Parts: sequence; structure tokens; C-alpha cells
Amino acid sequence: MRALTILSVLPELLDTNGDAANARVLAQRARWAGFEATIVPVSSLDDLPSRVDAIVIGSGNDSDLVAARDLLAPLVNALRGWTTAGVPVLAVGTGWELLSWGVELADGSVVDGLGLVAGRAVPLAERATDDLVVESGFGRLVGFENHARGYVGAEASTLGRVLTGVGNGAKTEGLRMGSFLGTHLHGPVLARNPGLADHILSAAVTRAGGVYVRSERAAAVDAIAEAATAVVVSSLSLAADA
Amino acid sequence: MRYAPVILVGRIVRVLARWRKPGGGSAVPGLVVNRLAPGFLSSVLNGFPDGLVIVSGSSGKSTTTKMLVAALRAHGVAVFTNQSTANISQGLTSALLEEVSLSGRIRGDMAVLEMDEGHGALISATLNPRVVALTNVMVDQIDRFHDSDMVVAMLARIANRASGTVVINADDASLTGLADHLDGPAAVARYGVTAEILAQNPRGLGYSVTASERMPPADGILLTTVSGRSASVLIGGASFDLDLPARGVHYAVDALTAIAAARAALGDRFDAATACAAVSTIPPVFGRGEIVTVRGHRVEFVLVQNPASFQLNVDSLEPGLDQVLVAIGSDVRDPSYFWPVDTSGLGRVLIASGSKAHDIALQLAYDGVVVDRIEPDLGRALDDFLALPDPEHGIKTIIFSADSMRRTRAHLGLASNREG
Repeated sequence: MRALTILSVLPELLDTNGDAANARVLAQRARWAGFEATIVPVSSLDDLPSRVDAIVIGSGNDSDLVAARDLLAPLVNALRGWTTAGVPVLAVGTGWELLSWGVELADGSVVDGLGLVAGRAVPLAERATDDLVVESGFGRLVGFENHARGYVGAEASTLGRVLTGVGNGAKTEGLRMGSFLGTHLHGPVLARNPGLADHILSAAVTRAGGVYVRSERAAAVDAIAEAATAVVVSSLSLAADA
Repeated sequence: MRYAPVILVGRIVRVLARWRKPGGGSAVPGLVVNRLAPGFLSSVLNGFPDGLVIVSGSSGKSTTTKMLVAALRAHGVAVFTNQSTANISQGLTSALLEEVSLSGRIRGDMAVLEMDEGHGALISATLNPRVVALTNVMVDQIDRFHDSDMVVAMLARIANRASGTVVINADDASLTGLADHLDGPAAVARYGVTAEILAQNPRGLGYSVTASERMPPADGILLTTVSGRSASVLIGGASFDLDLPARGVHYAVDALTAIAAARAALGDRFDAATACAAVSTIPPVFGRGEIVTVRGHRVEFVLVQNPASFQLNVDSLEPGLDQVLVAIGSDVRDPSYFWPVDTSGLGRVLIASGSKAHDIALQLAYDGVVVDRIEPDLGRALDDFLALPDPEHGIKTIIFSADSMRRTRAHLGLASNREG
């Protein structure tokens, strides 16, 4: 099997909460499972490799929204091609919002999105900053949210149901459209939720011609993640195995 | 005497609060006084004959403030300062109540206050500082200040209140941008490091955005060398040596900020040699590169307050340390917070502890650091860590967040900063 190529899109602008760490998580888990993996940071067309197995996009500052959108614009055709071909994409916060139809700001202005996925970001009544727990097709996802906008127009294809927190608003969270996953769970969401990480990694390894099996080392690290999220879950008094 | 009645009330409340809870209740008198007389705090702080100096920014405020106070006192200035991290308005008002006369004045020529950017922006609207010194803008305290734009806006509100000088870090692009758009009447004074010093720190100095160009030596106070606990600075064409409170370029930049602020506050009275000598006398701030002897072992304490200081500290530790304990507590609300830091340089950590023990262990594991044990109970972790014989290599090293630092000091019976 060839080495895995993991794209980290605009890490210099879209890594406010360490979201770019998700690329590191995928690469480490792949290496622990015996595969070679390379993270390719991308900020222009020239940086794009010919083959891509997984794509990670993080969240940035609002003052960089337009700059990030303008840097993403030339990359969108390539991203669309890969998404259509089934390459897994994880997009967090503003990175996800910019790939939607558009981003409505609190002052009423709109930053046009790049239209890769359905829906748009709209202002929330108040900023959501706290733990976010979601019941999803990948099991229960536990993380942290810190955002001022929700998401509408994709109610039929969300990532899951909010158990605690705000998410998109209206008790749903995220977007799941084909191989594209959008979420407000910021930072190392894949480290804390290895089920989601391995869903993405399995798709990536399959594309590269291999079969992914979780390594023993990953299992040991996942026990740490489980203990970390159990602390959150018990503090929220959600049933431990709901 | 306008505030005499309310000062008396505040003092009575203070006595009552101490009866009720000996040693505690320090914010309550301030709360009461601020409710009864909202103008008290600003009236006192604006009343110093040589004016008010405010130190703010993301990181380095406490060390910079202590250095600045030392430099001013060495010039014979009587300084009132907030000793502790009581930098919220209630705490500050309570502290003022301890020293204020019934006429509403405090003995002293000048006030120097460390202000958290959030609370500073809230109370600064009524303050008339002569000098505002800004340290840097880092992605800090993510729960409260969601991004660096918001921090810059808050610092701008404080800076726009300055009547004399705004002192800025010329290497921090957020602050140079802020200085270009000041609304107030203040002049701008700068400090910065040379290209060589920046190059010695390949990951930068931790600023949210580093300025693309270095400051020309004629434009301000320039840091020219840093090595271990020694540094030298260029002031008005002459070079001066400094001793730093601990290893690390960030302490040298704190000293630079303090010297530049002292020059702005003192004007013609400023003497560079006096300022540099005074800044060199500052003992290490608790928990930051401080070496203590506990239970017969020498232990280095390393405080990490934000991703930038975590990274700088990891990079400046001696490689191959045998005995490292990392403790992250409930002050780090969002476990994502430290993920931009590359911790791989630690190599091996004996114990991960604190209420966020599992979260920091998870990050260390993905960075390829071997974590021998996860023990959320910090007291037990400390006891076991200190019970080990001295390491074969290096010194026992405890890396902690502010909350874990407080708990560590309390557990080991060490003196603590008054409030933090």
C-alpha cells in the first residue's frame, strides 16, 4: 500500500483551537497501525499533491474570514473533486462555514461561501462556549464548542443530536454529506473521539489500497481519551453509557 | 472628604467579613463600596500626583509590573501598586481601602497597576492613565476571549485612555496595528528584539501575529542578546547588561517592557543604568522557572499560562529530563487549549496529573511522549513524585497550570502569591 497523504488546509489561518491537530491524530494513528503517513499543509494550488486520502480544515478568527475564503476559493474545485470521489473531509468551525453557501455576520453582512456543501451559518442569540456532547452515527462525541454562529439549511443531514450544548442550534449538530463532515466540536475532536477518527482513517486507508485495523497502541491511547471524556460526561450527569 | 462615609462603611464591612471568615472575604468590602460609590475607584486611582501607569496584555503582566515598580522606586518614586493578582475592580477597591485616607487619597507619587485585559477594558473608561504599557497579544484564556481580535479591541480601549505615552512591543503586529490607530492623544514608545534573537527562537516569541520587520535601534529600546539568565539592551545608543529572574527570552522581553515603561513614566528623570540595575534585582515570580528545595529534593517549577508560554518553556527545558510531572487543572476549561503546542520535546513524563490529567496525557501520547502514569489526584502525584530518589539526569521538574500551581504550593506548604 502507498503512503497516506493527509491534507491540512490553511493551517496558518485555520488553527485557532489546535484544530490542525486533527491531521496529526490521523497521521499518528495510521503510523501506529503500520502505515506511512504524510501531512501536507496547503495554502495554494501549487501545494496540492496529486493524490489525497483525507482532508482536515480547522477554524480561524472572524477577522480572517474573507482572507481565508479568498485563499480557499482556488482550491475548491480540487476539494469538490475529492469529496465527490469519497475522500473523507473533516471541517471544523469557520473552515466548515466557508465551504457552505455563506456566513451571516452579527452586523447583518454576509460573507459568501464557496458552496461545496449545503446550508449556511447564521448568528446565534449568544455565543456558545462550553462542553458539547452529540449522539451521532459514530457513537457519542464529546468535545468543546466556542462559536457565535449556528448552522441552518442542512437539517436533514446533520452529524447528530445534541445531548448537551448548542451545536447548530435546534438540538442538532454538524453536517454529514457524503464523505464530508462539518462540526463545531473544535480542537482535537478526533483524539477525544477515536470512533470518528477511525471512520475517517478506514476510508482513507481503503482508498490507498489497504485495510485499517486499530493498533494496540491506539487502543491504549483511546483508553485515555475515554477517561478524559468520562470526566466531562459525569460532570454533566449524562448516563455513562447512553 | 467626599468619599469619607463610604470609606468608613467599606472598612466596617471589611472587619465584619473578617470576623465571619478569618483571612477571607477580601472582595466583599470592594463590592459594597463600588455599589455605594461607583466613582470611588477611579477617583482614587486618578488622584496620584505623578499619574497612573497601567500594564496590560496577554502574558508577562505580573513580572513586567514588578520590574517596573522596582525601576521607579530605584529612581526615588513612591509607588502604589496592586501587590497581588487582585486585578478585578472589587479586589482592587478592597486593596485600596486598606491604604486610603478618609480624604480619599493614597500616599504615593504614582500608581502602577497590572490589569487583565478584560477587566481593564471594563473599568478603564473612567481612568485617566498617563502611561499604558502593553506586553503582547497571545491566544490566551480561550473561554473568555475567544480570539485575538477581541483581545486587541479590549487593549485598544485601555490604550485610548492614555494621556501621555502608550508603550508597545514592536515585534507584536497586533500591537503595532493598535498603535497606528490610537484615538487618544498619547505618543507611542516602542521596544523590540533584534533579528538574531528572533532567529534563535524558531517558533517565534508566541505572539498571535509577529511583525514582519524588526524595530530599528533608534526607534526604541532594543534587546540585543539573551543567554541563560543574562541579557543586554541598547538604550539611546548605549548598551546595558541585565540579570533575568529565570531563563527564557520572555523574561528578557518583560524587562524590556518595564524599562521602556519606566522611561515613559519618568521622562527626563529616567536613568538607564539605574533602571537596568533595579530590574535585575527581581526575584523569580512564584512558579515560573523557580527552583525550590522540597522534602530534601531540588525541584524546578515551570508555570504554563498559555500555549505560547508552554511552547517556550518546553523548548527551553534541558533535553532528556528523567523526572517530569505535568499537572493541568480546572483553570484550563477547554482541553483544546494546549493542542497547538508541540510537546514532543519532553520525551517522557513520569506522571500526568491535575483535574485535566487525562486530557494532557492524551495530547502527550499523540506527540509521542511516553506517559508512565496518569494520576488525577495531585496530592498523591506530588507525594509519589517527590518520594523518588533524585534523577540521574537533570532536576525534578514540575510543569503546571496556574490552578495546579496553587494546589501544589498549598500541598507542599510553600508560601504563595497573595491571591494567585
